[in-house]
Amino acid sequence: MKKTLLVLVAVIIAVIFLLPLIWMLSTSFKNDFEALAGQMSLIPKKPTFENYLDGLKGNLMNVPITRWISNSLFVGAAGTAIVLLFSSMAAYALARLQDLPFKKLMFPMFIGSMMIPGVLTFLPMYMEFNALGWINTYAALILPYSSGAFGVFLLFQFFTAFPKEIEEAARIDGANKWQIYSRILLPASVSIMVTLAIFTFMGIYNDFVWPLYSTTSPEMRTITAGIAMMAQGSYTQAYGKLMSMTVIATLPVFIIFIVGQRSFVKAITQAGVK
Amino acid sequence: MVKSSLQSRLTSTLFVLPYLLSFCAFLLIPILYGIYISFHNFELLSDTHKFVGFDNYVKIFTPGSYLFEQFTTGLWNTVQFVLYSVPLLVVLGLALALLLNQLPKRIRGLFRTFYFMPYAISGSVMAVIWLMMFDTNAGFLNGLLAKLHIDPVAWLTDLPWVWVSLVLTTLWWTIGFNMIIFTNALNEVPEDYYEAASIDGANAWKRFVSITLPSIRPVMLFIIITSTIASFNVYAQPFLLTRGGPGDSTKVLLMNVLDEAFKGKQVGSASAMAILMALIIIIVSAVQYKIAYGRKE
Repeated sequence: MKKTLLVLVAVIIAVIFLLPLIWMLSTSFKNDFEALAGQMSLIPKKPTFENYLDGLKGNLMNVPITRWISNSLFVGAAGTAIVLLFSSMAAYALARLQDLPFKKLMFPMFIGSMMIPGVLTFLPMYMEFNALGWINTYAALILPYSSGAFGVFLLFQFFTAFPKEIEEAARIDGANKWQIYSRILLPASVSIMVTLAIFTFMGIYNDFVWPLYSTTSPEMRTITAGIAMMAQGSYTQAYGKLMSMTVIATLPVFIIFIVGQRSFVKAITQAGVK
Repeated sequence: MVKSSLQSRLTSTLFVLPYLLSFCAFLLIPILYGIYISFHNFELLSDTHKFVGFDNYVKIFTPGSYLFEQFTTGLWNTVQFVLYSVPLLVVLGLALALLLNQLPKRIRGLFRTFYFMPYAISGSVMAVIWLMMFDTNAGFLNGLLAKLHIDPVAWLTDLPWVWVSLVLTTLWWTIGFNMIIFTNALNEVPEDYYEAASIDGANAWKRFVSITLPSIRPVMLFIIITSTIASFNVYAQPFLLTRGGPGDSTKVLLMNVLDEAFKGKQVGSASAMAILMALIIIIVSAVQYKIAYGRKE
């Protein structure tokens, strides 16, 4: 009895959480008239694919959606690749290479940097990219994310716990540092790397504030920055069209989220262990 | 062991080098550059930047000045948001985790996914979804109220509803994170503690207060601190949903900092505001940490 009541409560809360998402999906299949009519039709009266078709053809509100989504996927993938490479190399050196100079200085500096509020770096980073003439380039959209220390922190813990014997044996066989890193440690850390990849990709893909300010031309926008742009503009009430864009924008992260939820949860609980 | 050769130390350094360079270029240098900028009359579109010492900071602390108004009203709006959102984020996050743990095992994962899903979407997508939900004429919420014969509410333009809307969207969007961390902590409380207490005749509430709460205390503090920091940095919700309105009543500090830089073109004074804002965040979390761990038990 008590269990059924709890399940009922859980279901009601689930409906509240899912309703905005379901409403988004439903509205994306409505024409603008129905979307604005304030009718509470969960199933569109006259379902239409027009919002999606127009979007893919590029004439939805005259914005290049396919370009935006490609930008987002490219920036997310490139940023993630860089984070994985840089963090794993740094974490390997910090965790396993005893003769690394200034180790005692660098490690706390990296970890401490995770406490620094983003507002401290946002404006000067903009001015820095501006001075380099890199505003509105892919470099501006990708590089800033590579300085995050979370990956170093996560992989450092993993590499520290990795058994020494295997590494010793490889060294006796004549393997150098690079070979130990690339042939022994990396293959052994696939699962934690996937975790970091999911976490990083979602972070970069979802960020809209930095891309909004660091890009100036329509074709350089990421999808999330583009949507923010539309939300401020004169299209705010074209809900049918807007929702088809948000559905498209959300699809990649939802797929990754559902498939990689275990990994994602692991990454954030790792962060919580500190 | 012989001391490692120069070459060996060099190779070791090469492994950290890429990250170290990125760390310097996109974290260390910006921080130092930001401090430099804040001491200058730094206009966005101009090439000459006059050194003005502490002038930008002095203006922020001079009552009646434009910067003072921008900083203090922005800060007060941010603090209001922190005060409204953090208690709910912590308490309801824990409540969701407790609910989840009481559910039958085979449906637990499913419901966890449902509650956690909004966390996976972008701030701008979240805002656009809720623009539609809160729309005064065509929105879902007012449609629902109409069915119940209740007058429409101006969710995004009237006080105090703007705060209700901002807090509601924040809860919907981010509470899943807190829930996950709490669930993880709850699962680590040893089962036999509860069994022993049950044998002693402790009821559910008593077990919660005397076993659960003390066991998850460190995690609770972590959640309070991270939620406070996140709420201090609030941007997407007021920027896109209420646009700071009505008037400037939900215009938070981060909005004022970015407007001063990009609309007012005054990067120097904006940087001074940003640095002060960062200091406030760091001090608040340090105080929370101190209160939490400084007390002798």
